[in-house]
Amino acid sequence: MTTTMNSESSNNSNTPAAGPVMTSSKQPVQSAKNVDTQSVLKRLQSELMALMMSGDSGISAFPEEDNIFCWKGTITGSKDTVFEGTEYKLSLSFPTDYPFKAPKVKFETGCFHPNVDVYGNLCLDILQDKWSSAYDVRTILLSIQSLLGEPNTSSPLNNQAAALWGNQAEYRKMVEKLYKPSS
Amino acid sequence: MAVDASSAACNLAVLDSLNEDSIHEMVESWNRFCLASEGLLIGAGNLSFGSEFVSQAQILVKYGLESLVQQHFLRSVEEIFEKNGATRFWSHFVPYSNVAALEINDDPIQRDEIQEVLCKALEEISSQKQYQEKCLWMLIHALHSESATKSECQIKSDAQNVPLIMKYQLMVSSVLMTSLPRHFPEILHWYFKGRLEELSTIMEEDDENENEHKVQDDMDVDEKRQLVSRSGDMDVDGCHHQRGFSEKNKLVKNIGMVVRNLRSLGLTSMVEDAYASAIYFLLKAKVQDLSGDDYRTSVLESIKGWIQAVPLQFLHALLAYLGDSTDYASHSSGLKSPLASRHSSCYFGSEEPSEGLVRWQLRLEYFAYETLQDLRIAKLFDIIVDYPDSAPAIEDLKQCLNYTGQHTKLVDSFISSLRYRLLTAGASTNDILHQYVSTIKALRTIDPAGVFLEAVSEPIREYLKGRKDTIKCIVTMLTDGTGGSNSASGSNGDSLLEELNRDEESHENTCTDDDINIDDKQAWINAQCWEPDPIEADPLKGSRNRRKVDILGMIVSIIGSKDQLVNEYRVMLAEKLLNKHDYEIDSEIRTLELLKIHFGESSMQRCEIMLNDLIDSKRTNTNIKATIKQQPQAEQEEHDESLDVLSATIISSNFWPPIQDETVNLPAPVDQLLSDYARWFNQIKTPRKLLWKKNLGTVKLELQFGNREVPFTVTPLQASIIMQFQDHTSWSSKDLAAAVGVPVDVLNRRISFWISKGVLTESGGMDASSHVFTLVEAVSDNNKAGPSNGSFEELMVGDDDGERSVASVEDQLRKEMTVYEKFITGMLTNFGSMALDRIHNTLKMFCIADPPYDKSLQQLQSFLYGLVAEEKLEFRDGMYLLKK
Repeated sequence: MTTTMNSESSNNSNTPAAGPVMTSSKQPVQSAKNVDTQSVLKRLQSELMALMMSGDSGISAFPEEDNIFCWKGTITGSKDTVFEGTEYKLSLSFPTDYPFKAPKVKFETGCFHPNVDVYGNLCLDILQDKWSSAYDVRTILLSIQSLLGEPNTSSPLNNQAAALWGNQAEYRKMVEKLYKPSS
Repeated sequence: MAVDASSAACNLAVLDSLNEDSIHEMVESWNRFCLASEGLLIGAGNLSFGSEFVSQAQILVKYGLESLVQQHFLRSVEEIFEKNGATRFWSHFVPYSNVAALEINDDPIQRDEIQEVLCKALEEISSQKQYQEKCLWMLIHALHSESATKSECQIKSDAQNVPLIMKYQLMVSSVLMTSLPRHFPEILHWYFKGRLEELSTIMEEDDENENEHKVQDDMDVDEKRQLVSRSGDMDVDGCHHQRGFSEKNKLVKNIGMVVRNLRSLGLTSMVEDAYASAIYFLLKAKVQDLSGDDYRTSVLESIKGWIQAVPLQFLHALLAYLGDSTDYASHSSGLKSPLASRHSSCYFGSEEPSEGLVRWQLRLEYFAYETLQDLRIAKLFDIIVDYPDSAPAIEDLKQCLNYTGQHTKLVDSFISSLRYRLLTAGASTNDILHQYVSTIKALRTIDPAGVFLEAVSEPIREYLKGRKDTIKCIVTMLTDGTGGSNSASGSNGDSLLEELNRDEESHENTCTDDDINIDDKQAWINAQCWEPDPIEADPLKGSRNRRKVDILGMIVSIIGSKDQLVNEYRVMLAEKLLNKHDYEIDSEIRTLELLKIHFGESSMQRCEIMLNDLIDSKRTNTNIKATIKQQPQAEQEEHDESLDVLSATIISSNFWPPIQDETVNLPAPVDQLLSDYARWFNQIKTPRKLLWKKNLGTVKLELQFGNREVPFTVTPLQASIIMQFQDHTSWSSKDLAAAVGVPVDVLNRRISFWISKGVLTESGGMDASSHVFTLVEAVSDNNKAGPSNGSFEELMVGDDDGERSVASVEDQLRKEMTVYEKFITGMLTNFGSMALDRIHNTLKMFCIADPPYDKSLQQLQSFLYGLVAEEKLEFRDGMYLLKK
């Protein structure tokens, strides 16, 4: 059997008019001061897109109406932790030189947790001294979600919670008692 | 006697002057008068009491008892008439009291019987009435011969006005009316119906005869005269020139007599009702008969002709016979039949038709129009289905509607039949669109302003918007037809492509009229042609001046935005272009140019680039091949396959719709060929490089079985599958999939092509999941089963089993929508519940990825509605929230 080939294939030419490559967010820190709002917007925009498309369960965030620097977040307690079945609202506010500075994150829903104080402030290393521009909203939310299940009891903001952490059954009762879901 | 006393009381003064003798004489003559009048009335026909009656009456009048005499006489006349006349008259019809319930129409014997009975009864009662009238006249004469004030001739001349006769007439009709049996109007109706049917058959025969004998007409004049003279002395002017007239004449005379008799009995309105309803009945039957289910001929003219020929002739004869058209004359002066002039010249010579007749004609024509219109409207759906052929029926309907103005009836009825017959799940989108186009065309004839079309098309458009494949069908209709490959869909396509062309012409025309002067003139002409909108027009929908019945516009506006249409067209175009193996794109260019005119240059830009890619490819292709030829030697000897067999379509993928990507391992020599080609391309067009989409395109190949060669046109994947069998005649599916570089399931799907062609066979392997494919060497056996010599040469297997080179618009849309869904879920998770507006605004603000959110509020709403239906969302109090 002989085969005569007469192939016509379509192909794709790389058109030179591909446009300038979008400036990457992972730029050296020294340029932080010059960074313009436009690129922050772009960064937040793409973070939102990534977050929406990621489909992680239990974490979510979305910019408030007409202000992309203020986001509302939602975290649900992971399975097999004392926070299972609870849902916490967060507020995230991004500085104008984001991502070179960390966003400010607060709990809006009261959370009985060793590293969260009664005002909703939380203590998380990556939001303070360990911040890097490589983190994004998604990683922040994931970190907070895991912080719920694995608190750092050595430097607590809520001593009562830190003391109770050892007794998980009691702790669970406390969480249920204090949990006030947002309407 | 009460009357006596009262009358005596009135004449007290006279009484005083009376003496015994005169009183005696008075009483005497009164008694004798009573006897005489009784004798006169009962002894019908016997006038022996006449002289006695007259003389006694005269004596009484002398004593001033005139009113007494009159009253007494009238009362006795009434008594007698009631007893003898009316009762006997009605008793004739008693056997037919249930006649209306039975279908006497079907029984000619009984019908004839009724006719006879009616005539006989009428004659009888008429003769009685005449006799009584004669008696009355006797009395009147007697009374008036005394009073010298009035001369005889004077009394005669205004007979109608003599109070006594009027009283008598009134008495007769009231007696008859009070004792009228319920079924009598029915009997009259059937009588006239039967007569008219008879008449119309005679007329039809006449027509035929007339046609046959037209030539002999001159010779027959004498004979005709004889006939006429024989037929009687009735003078019905204007109708004598018809053949077979005697019979008709007799019939008309007969009917005329009945009508006259009935009229004289005071039943004028009843008899008119009866023959009018009979005429209408006949006319309706005629219209139904003529119109039938054939829409290819216009029936309006023949109906009009028939109206002229039968009912109007009849009425003319009847009115002439009765000698009065005066009833109508007073209140029809302003009316003029649109056909009057023609009608008078045709049928009545120079004679003007009487007012009554014109009135009748108007009534009949209106009725005919209405009947035909109702019939046509009921069948409008079918008429439109075979529209271009059924144009005459549409034309008829248009005329009818112009006359009756019942357009709303059309709209209502047509919409309901649309709902019932077209807008159902069973109808294919193509059919609906086709019917829609026909509807537009047909209704454009009826109503150029497009008001009713607007109303009718509303449900169709709404329905089409709900169909997924609407856009695709419209685009196919728009662009196909140039290929003209299959006649079935070709006709649909042609119609819209035609519209495109026409549009182009009109554009050209307007372009030439650029001159300002001409514009002014045109504006003036337009202004003069202005016509007010029909009253049914919806004032909310703006001025009708700018409404133009533009098929293309109406079709495209179903889609909503032209972007969607352009997008769909782009996908179709891409599909078409990628499957081309010559660079012939003339028809595509033409279609594109037409579309550009309609949708604007900018929106078609991407499509234009696609076509330009093809043109460029052709040039580049020849260029590369020419370059290779210039530097021969080494390259060409390396491979047994030269680059001549290869032609590339080079696309600027940024402007093309997303292209399906699928890896495939091409056979090494072919692969080598491709990379050579890419190298040459790079040399010519530095710094550009070719990236092959190896799964696209077509391969023409020939399989050689023994001494037979069978050509195929297949996809690259299918080609490389069959190439694998060049070395090994048998492959397991796993090995083959690995060799070709595709997943096993894809392989199984694609290889079925070769199995169906009888080139390969499939057998179960070691385990269930792996099959073994074997090349069939003994082709002769299989050739019997498979299609024989070369009939599948032109087989394009491009788009069966969903194998497409370009992602369809729906796929793209679905992809977009999942992005939106995620965004919506995201915002609702964090904000709880949101109103439609806020979701819309938020999406607009933050969903600016590729492609950015560009949907309308309505589209979003329907999308959200879908999510609610899928139970992903909840809708409560105007707010959307996530379903927990």
